[in-house]
Amino acid sequence: MSIMKLSIGPQHPISAHFRFLLDVDGDVVLKLEPDVGYTHRGIEKLAEKRTYLQNLPVIERVNSYCDSAGTMLGYLEVIEELMGLEVPERAKYLRVIAAELNRIASHLYAASLFSVATGLETMLMWPINDRELILDLLERLTGQRITYTYQTIGGVRFDMPDGFKEEALKRLDYLEKRTEDYYKMLLWNHTFHMRTKKVGILRPSDAIKLGVVGPNLRASGVKVDVRKDEPYEVYDRFDFSIPTGKNGDSYDRLEVRFKEVGQSINILRQALKDIPKGPIKKWVPPIVPKGEAYTRVEAARGEFGYHLIGDGSMKPYRLKISPPSFRNLIALPHLCQNIPLADVPIIYISLDLIPMDVDR
Amino acid sequence: MIDKSAEELIVDSVKARFPEEVIEAKVQRKNRVSISVRNNRIYDVGLFLRDELEFDHIASVSGVDYIDMNEFEVIYYVWSINKKVLVGLRTKIPRDNPVLKSLVDVWEGVLYHEREVWEMFGIKFEGHPNLSLLLLPEDWDGPPPLRKDFVLPETHQERLEEKIKKLSSG
Amino acid sequence: MLQKAKDGLMDIKLFRRVMNWGKAWSLWSVHLETGCCGPEDMARACARFDTERFGTLPFPTLRECDLIFVTGFVTKKMAKRLKIVYEQMPEPKYVIAIGHCAISGGLWWDSYSVVQGVDEIIPVDVYVPGCPPRPEAWIQGIRMLQEKIAKEGMRKK
Ligand code: SF4
Repeated sequence: MSIMKLSIGPQHPISAHFRFLLDVDGDVVLKLEPDVGYTHRGIEKLAEKRTYLQNLPVIERVNSYCDSAGTMLGYLEVIEELMGLEVPERAKYLRVIAAELNRIASHLYAASLFSVATGLETMLMWPINDRELILDLLERLTGQRITYTYQTIGGVRFDMPDGFKEEALKRLDYLEKRTEDYYKMLLWNHTFHMRTKKVGILRPSDAIKLGVVGPNLRASGVKVDVRKDEPYEVYDRFDFSIPTGKNGDSYDRLEVRFKEVGQSINILRQALKDIPKGPIKKWVPPIVPKGEAYTRVEAARGEFGYHLIGDGSMKPYRLKISPPSFRNLIALPHLCQNIPLADVPIIYISLDLIPMDVDR
Repeated sequence: MIDKSAEELIVDSVKARFPEEVIEAKVQRKNRVSISVRNNRIYDVGLFLRDELEFDHIASVSGVDYIDMNEFEVIYYVWSINKKVLVGLRTKIPRDNPVLKSLVDVWEGVLYHEREVWEMFGIKFEGHPNLSLLLLPEDWDGPPPLRKDFVLPETHQERLEEKIKKLSSG
Repeated sequence: MLQKAKDGLMDIKLFRRVMNWGKAWSLWSVHLETGCCGPEDMARACARFDTERFGTLPFPTLRECDLIFVTGFVTKKMAKRLKIVYEQMPEPKYVIAIGHCAISGGLWWDSYSVVQGVDEIIPVDVYVPGCPPRPEAWIQGIRMLQEKIAKEGMRKK
């Protein structure tokens, strides 16, 4: 049989800003080569030109697909490590609240994309609608729906509005109940099982070797979470577990995300309960001393690494961002070998790759 | 005898194994170790880190352009899942002839990371299977953008003039 | 009766109005995400904001679409594809530029790989500012486009 070359995307429902170059034989995919870079803005270069404060909105848009707060946290962590700055307690809690709300929103978004790929249209609408509840909360807290620039160097910009706590708890209760519906509609759905179980199995040894991070790594059964390994902000005070999968297939990757939503609700309840009173921001000079630091944070899609070299001025000398989707990207060609063509979208969606943060 | 922390043990074992090649090895803070080596032996140190010290999870490969010293620095950040330590394996290479042995054989995950460093800094990785443009537009013909001598427009004015020039010529 | 209908059809003004009404209320949008305004694209298409009320249904096949939402910045690599997509779409076709980046480069005004405004590549009908614009703003953009279409002459476009 002859081998045919296929090019899918970037205008394609499954590959938003991606292009896949496929080698197919009949309908068996022999090799997949992702063609990325359609959203490359050169954030690392731009960051060198802007001051630390001007960089806030820029860095946030590395991953603005519902995970701005988690992304930003890492950038602030790395600056504050170099400065040796201790943020007020209340601000730390507020940062965690924003980040965890974002994690829920992001996972719901992922779930709805997943359902599109499997052809379940109802489950496209449900998570997106429940995501609106979270976005409304975030809007109350930060004033924006998607891109917040809420956390700044030395704290956060606004305090919690009145009545936020009660409203948030109410919505979290609702969401927890709602998760059961998701299980009924999606995760226990026979059609869904047929399409996702045993599709794209990523073995734990391979996952580690390739450097896969986040829920994808945990779905393979490797218990790695920066929130536990190197607790930042106030994550060491919360009681939560790290859900892991057993088989590392596409189904597990979604299930882990749903379980993580449960854990985030858990964390949020604790955070809302013991948030202390006090100032929310510390004034700091916008100059970062000379030095070098690398910090890791666990954003919704996995581990963000920030490597900052400061030269004692108001601008970074070099800021390297190592985003989760870029590190998960390598799993895509690895998994797409000798599989039916129809499984490619499932595998792609299950990895939850966001082109924004692959490309920066 | 005082118990040594995991980080110090790592530093000691690397120093003991490679007394010549390691220029500096130190503990930066908790969970962070920095090892800088001579550029011709980075492959061996990498292998040693992977096989004997369990550094298995690649985190990032980053390049830095020290234009004043006429050098590039390449840093491999590797996390150890068991030890919970992040090592920064760094080496310096001359700016005029930026060639380094690729570590793809050591950590398979660096495949795209090295490609990115190649296109952003122009650092050649010997032995890398596919050094082609990853993120930049396919008809990119400027210098590697993350080098310090590649400058972006300073003001809106400059950008507008550029745009006008382009429009009037084409 | 028949005569009346015939006269109606001959009446170019009425015919034009019916045509424009049809065009304005079936603006199917092609699935092409270019920038980080993308999540709002999902939000506006789903049940809460539901732009299908205004006839704007996201659709995967570009051959059956008449509308492109340029969701945010367009990189040089994407610009070529955007142009191809635009050229492949059948007439009538409209473009709504979403977000500061699509309008003028926005946050990435000095970036080496972002096109400074989509109107350098394809003609734009409606600009919707915001970073990202709220779904309500998207809806306003759609309504503005519909008003624009309603005023359109027959030959043009
Ligand atoms: S307008 Fe804002 S959200 Fe939209 S693409 Fe530009 S930076 Fe991203």
